[in-house]
Amino acid sequence: MRITDRRFALYLMTPAALFLAVFVAYPLFRLIADSFFKISPIAGGPRDFVGFQNYVTAFASEAFMGAGWRTLAYTLVVVTLEFALGLGMALLFTTLGRSSQVWRTVFLYPLMIAPIVAGLLWKFLMIDNFGLIGTLLHQAGILSNPNQIGWLSDPNIVLFSVAIPDIWLTTSFMCLVLFAGLQNIPGDLIEAARLDGARAPALLFRIILPLLRPVIAVALVVRGIDAARAFDTILIQTNGGPQSASETMSLLIYRTMIRFGDPGLASAMGTIYLLAMLAVAFFAVATIWRPGKDN
Amino acid sequence: MSSRTAILRNRATAEGDVTSQTALPASDVTAPHGLRKRRGVNREGLEAGRRSTRTILWILLAVAMVLYGFPFLYLLFTSFKTPIDTIAVPPTILPKEWTLENYANALGRSGVLASFINSVQTAIISTVLSLVLAVPAAYGITRYKTPSGRVFIMAALVTRMVPPVAIGIPLASMMSSVGLADTPIALSIAHTTISLPLSIWLMSSFFEAVPRDLEEAATVDGCSRLGALWRVVIPVVSGGIAVTAIFAFLASWNEFLFALLMTAIRSQTTPVVIANFQTQFGLDWGSMTALAAVYSIPVILLTLLLQRKIVAGMTLGAVKG
Repeated sequence: MRITDRRFALYLMTPAALFLAVFVAYPLFRLIADSFFKISPIAGGPRDFVGFQNYVTAFASEAFMGAGWRTLAYTLVVVTLEFALGLGMALLFTTLGRSSQVWRTVFLYPLMIAPIVAGLLWKFLMIDNFGLIGTLLHQAGILSNPNQIGWLSDPNIVLFSVAIPDIWLTTSFMCLVLFAGLQNIPGDLIEAARLDGARAPALLFRIILPLLRPVIAVALVVRGIDAARAFDTILIQTNGGPQSASETMSLLIYRTMIRFGDPGLASAMGTIYLLAMLAVAFFAVATIWRPGKDN
Repeated sequence: MSSRTAILRNRATAEGDVTSQTALPASDVTAPHGLRKRRGVNREGLEAGRRSTRTILWILLAVAMVLYGFPFLYLLFTSFKTPIDTIAVPPTILPKEWTLENYANALGRSGVLASFINSVQTAIISTVLSLVLAVPAAYGITRYKTPSGRVFIMAALVTRMVPPVAIGIPLASMMSSVGLADTPIALSIAHTTISLPLSIWLMSSFFEAVPRDLEEAATVDGCSRLGALWRVVIPVVSGGIAVTAIFAFLASWNEFLFALLMTAIRSQTTPVVIANFQTQFGLDWGSMTALAAVYSIPVILLTLLLQRKIVAGMTLGAVKG
């Protein structure tokens, strides 16, 4: 008795599929189900079906809409800066060639640091009074007072400040992926363009970037998804404050669930957030990435 | 296993290394492309040739490395300051007086050593679980290319997008209803929901690079399909399994949100303890930096040691696209 290949393949996949079904799909199902109930935060408390009420509450709440825009702004800031810096570093390493190899390795180190540690570290650098950045800028004569910029206390700039650890942590990832892509560009193509008189900017925008497009797309999609879920770094730096100015979607859902004790509303928010992420990710994948498609 | 299979396997081990490296250009970061001519005389591709240009580029790199490396160095310096000195106004970069006081304070605090043990335990269980589930699944997906396999790998990609905050609470209540609340097992299961999709993805790419005639030879020699996988294919992809294991381990080691939602006292991991320092004990920056340093340095060293493998894993999905 011999089972078919197709069935054998199915057997191999079953344990992992079951695991994901039980520990991802089922909690998601619970999340969606909870979003239609008004739930008391006390264990064993009442649970009343309220239809779409939680969704209406979510969309009507300023906190929710604000968190949505902030999450979008945060993601754009993180991904854009990270891409610009990562590309710059990747080009630098490529133009320096193999003699820069040791530094390429050293440049990887932030990738291994826990986001919570990175958030803590940058909070320590930016915090009012004993933060080093303000002091150094003051000593360099750029600021008249070390506390002139309230990195983490000024609601107007805090969303940018809390993004810094995230950028610092994962610029290395961007650099690494783009560097790998750059190694795949045939050298003679660059030579030929140079012989034709192409200068550096033309070389970059007309040849290098178009050839890197698939790699750039993957890097942006992967990092975009991660940045939109950012939690640890923001929680430890500001806990969403001041005045909710750095409260992104993950934080709002967490606080609605734990601090304000409204699991129903938090579940509705989580469901909308998840749907929005899926929609954006599928759109991005469908238009720019196309995984598994052979050239 | 006959000698023919053995020869094929040895060949494939050699080839496997080559193919996996050509498929992943970054895994061999030392040799960008083709044969390089004498450096500085003949430039090739994008490498800068002129001495003046190179000098400017080196200065740029030096500046970038200092800026990029400084934050962590500052954390290290701070951890060696005296507790009072850590919050001095204005702050200084180097300690006025080098001391291990912060380390003694941090490690002596109750629960800190236990949290290290929890972190190690959780990360190991999660890594093993990820590998046990991902290796057969990825093999099934890449070798047999069935429609269900295609659906499955897409589904695994979708789970990567699920925000942990959305499933953390339901997951925590599921765990407590089966009596696993606040245990390393429960947390490592939660961490596996993060690392499993990634592991399946990585392992699929590694299996893709193994030549097919390898298992065919083994089955002709009388191996069952499972036997061929276990005795012939697995040894060939052992490097890939190591890469996947590192990633699964790091994902669990550095994870915070699930740990925050699913652990109380007994199974708390170190990231949660680090975060709690600032509320529970006021602003104890000295101990916090010391603990952060102790927690980060082993994995940074591990990475530097296994640098090539990690680079291979990280660029894999992207470059193969």
